[in-house]
Amino acid sequence: MGMRRRSEQAHESSHGIDLAPMLDFVINLLIFFIITAVFVKEFGLNVNRPTSFEQNKPDDAKSIQIQVLNNGEIWIDGRAVDVRAVRANVERMSAINPDTGVLLLANEQAPTGTVVEVVDQVHLGGIYNITFSTSN
Amino acid sequence: MQATRHTPASEDHGIDLAPMLDFTINLLIFFIITTSFIKEAGITVFKPEAITAENRDSGNLLIAVRENGEIWMDRNPVEIRELRSLIERLHIERPDDSVVIIADRASRAGVVAKVMDEVRSGGIKDIAIAADPGAGG
Repeated sequence: MGMRRRSEQAHESSHGIDLAPMLDFVINLLIFFIITAVFVKEFGLNVNRPTSFEQNKPDDAKSIQIQVLNNGEIWIDGRAVDVRAVRANVERMSAINPDTGVLLLANEQAPTGTVVEVVDQVHLGGIYNITFSTSN
Repeated sequence: MQATRHTPASEDHGIDLAPMLDFTINLLIFFIITTSFIKEAGITVFKPEAITAENRDSGNLLIAVRENGEIWMDRNPVEIRELRSLIERLHIERPDDSVVIIADRASRAGVVAKVMDEVRSGGIKDIAIAADPGAGG
């Protein structure tokens, strides 16, 4: 009796199928995706880590060595330089040898902020091949 | 007037659901496309600034290093020793994950280097150090 009445009514209505169960399902899916959605935009710098094989190798004479000491001082070629002078130094050295890389040798106690600043300045100087190594 | 109002009331459901369904499905598609299941670090740290920082849209595994050397991942503090097995497990679940290390400005470079080594030995080779783009440098 009830079934017959229902089917008659469905036949009478303008749309053939009942959308309500589908709508329930879709709204559940929607709520799930709204809750799990995270809009994080992260910006970062890429640096290489030397493999154990590379660590055993004698230092490549071609690569520029930049040292960061535990107090945040930056040394290039045996001279202490300011963070703003890193770019000029790197530009000069990459002009001499364009396919050179940078070896960033940081003390384990060196602040990460200084290390990232140096990486940024080296990028600005035109070298993206940076190897990040630490010493104690 | 009265007669036209009576016609929809005689149906099973009073209102027409089709436009609402269209709208809801559009919203659903939007959220499915934009969702990326990022594992957040769970804490905020004072990030260094860098002009040349690139957008890391694919970076969906965030590891934070605080200035006192604490490591946070997926809203929990983790020990450096557990990090490798955690990364290995996540790498098996989703092999195309990449890691962004959010290190505090005052954190030690040695801790960041150790975290990078552990992540690499855990199998994820795509690692970046987070920085705020802008007037830094």
